[in-house]
Amino acid sequence: MTNIIEVNHFTKRYGNFTAVDDISFSVKEGAIFSFLGPNGAGKSTTINTLCTILDKTEGEIYIGGHDVTKQKDLVRKDIGIVFQESTLDQKLTVEENLLFHCDFYGVPRKEANQRIDFVLNLVDLKDRKKDVVGSLSGGMKRRVEIARGLVHDPRVLFLDEPTAGLDPQTRANVWDYIRRLQKQKNITIFLTTHYMDEAEISSSVAIMDHGKIVASGTPAKLKSQFTGTRMEITAADPNNMAACLKKSNFQFSQADCHFDLSIKENKKAIDFLSREKNNIQDFEVTKGSLNDVFLAVTGREIRES
Amino acid sequence: MKKTAAILRRNLLNFTRDKVRMIGSFVMSFFFLFVFSFVMKSSVGRIAQPMNYLISGIIIMTVFQQALNNSTAILDDISNGFMKEILVAPISRREISIGQILSSSVIAVLQGLIILIAGLFMGLRLDLLHFIGTVGIMAVAGITFGSLGLFIATVSKGSSAFQVLSTILVMPLTFLSGAYIPTTILPNFLLPVVYINPLTYITSIFRFITMSMENLPVSQLVEEGIAFNIHGFILMPQMGLLIVIAIGLCFFALCVRKFNQADFSVVKTFHHHM
Repeated sequence: MTNIIEVNHFTKRYGNFTAVDDISFSVKEGAIFSFLGPNGAGKSTTINTLCTILDKTEGEIYIGGHDVTKQKDLVRKDIGIVFQESTLDQKLTVEENLLFHCDFYGVPRKEANQRIDFVLNLVDLKDRKKDVVGSLSGGMKRRVEIARGLVHDPRVLFLDEPTAGLDPQTRANVWDYIRRLQKQKNITIFLTTHYMDEAEISSSVAIMDHGKIVASGTPAKLKSQFTGTRMEITAADPNNMAACLKKSNFQFSQADCHFDLSIKENKKAIDFLSREKNNIQDFEVTKGSLNDVFLAVTGREIRES
Repeated sequence: MKKTAAILRRNLLNFTRDKVRMIGSFVMSFFFLFVFSFVMKSSVGRIAQPMNYLISGIIIMTVFQQALNNSTAILDDISNGFMKEILVAPISRREISIGQILSSSVIAVLQGLIILIAGLFMGLRLDLLHFIGTVGIMAVAGITFGSLGLFIATVSKGSSAFQVLSTILVMPLTFLSGAYIPTTILPNFLLPVVYINPLTYITSIFRFITMSMENLPVSQLVEEGIAFNIHGFILMPQMGLLIVIAIGLCFFALCVRKFNQADFSVVKTFHHHM
């Protein structure tokens, strides 16, 4: 697979303030890439530069092989963007919004009509085609934005907090649509979100803090790198269990018959569990979450940032 | 140019959806027509066709004010986010600004035409050639002041600043242009302002055409405030038109240039993280 987004030593300064400090990363074609970070980390500046709204100070950024500062129009044709706040014309109908979008992107009229039906179908809004956007609910508007971001057939779709401000039910639906279209069209998705569980589905993650990328990789890799697996055991004979754990060199804490230990090697844990099965009343294994990763690398919870 | 046309079509469609704004713009013009018709009947003896004189003044003022005001539409687009949709589309800034100026002009000319049609019922007489002439002058006025409006909008970046700036411009320029009050009855110390006011010349050429004054002697044109005797130099309405076109081209170039450089990202982008 080739890299559709290539960022090399990108720096953005505002006067003396360095918002983004020499970052490099790449995104593979067809991937779901999550871009995470606390407020003021330089995330917005990076996305705005990728979307051709801002110009970089230093470095090289390519999308689909085109330079984002020198070949803006070629890059713009290749990307679809769903901003967090609405950028629809509230006075026009859903169809009119999409048709003008097609005109702006040079999609021929005949093809435009077919594509509009296709994308509206994808987000379940076919029967709302003639409705004025201002009359739709927040969740529907977001779906119209997603449909619009797709109608010119982009290679990369930028989703900036696509589910912010939506209720859990609508959030789940929006994610359904995103996964569906990713499967159907194999487009690359560049995502920012405050919901860590949403980032779990991504093929790779980059976490930004203080203008630098502090961690990147697949969710699994990040979790194993920055968090451990925890196991809780309830023992029938606590004294015996404590002795056995010590003998097997496990780090643990004990409260009555409950033991809390961190696991480095799975095989060692499985062997231990099977050896001591007669003394184990109950056990639970908890994997580290992306939230734990975020906490470990930035020192903050994403929600509080 | 296809994309400029798309921006134009979108702006026109958006305008027609705003019924309050549409009606509001006519109410003002008809109000002026009503009020100043009394002024004209009572006080001005030297003007041959006072009602036609007034109607043509009001039509061209409508075009001027609407062209300037329509630029607020771009401020609305910035504040409700739609501007971002246009800025990230593969359209050059030049195409966007030309599309915006054309939209302001077309809407302004259409509004002028409606007052013109009302004028036809109130005694204004026009043959086809003169009608085409008036539309042409309205288009010049629309583009000139549409450019000025977009320039102010781009510089001010907010509707309150725009309102203040346009009010400061509109009031003196309209009242010292001869559109409502003939320049011939203004005191001498105001005349320099009248002569540097581009609206004076757009008004005079517009009247010259709507009132079919081609065959009148120069002395009578001066008496009616259509030609101007500036310290012995006679400025004919045709010359005035050339002045306005020159000013219009300057505004247009200035506006496109300014729009090209404007940084709209600070107005509204991914600002929720900043």
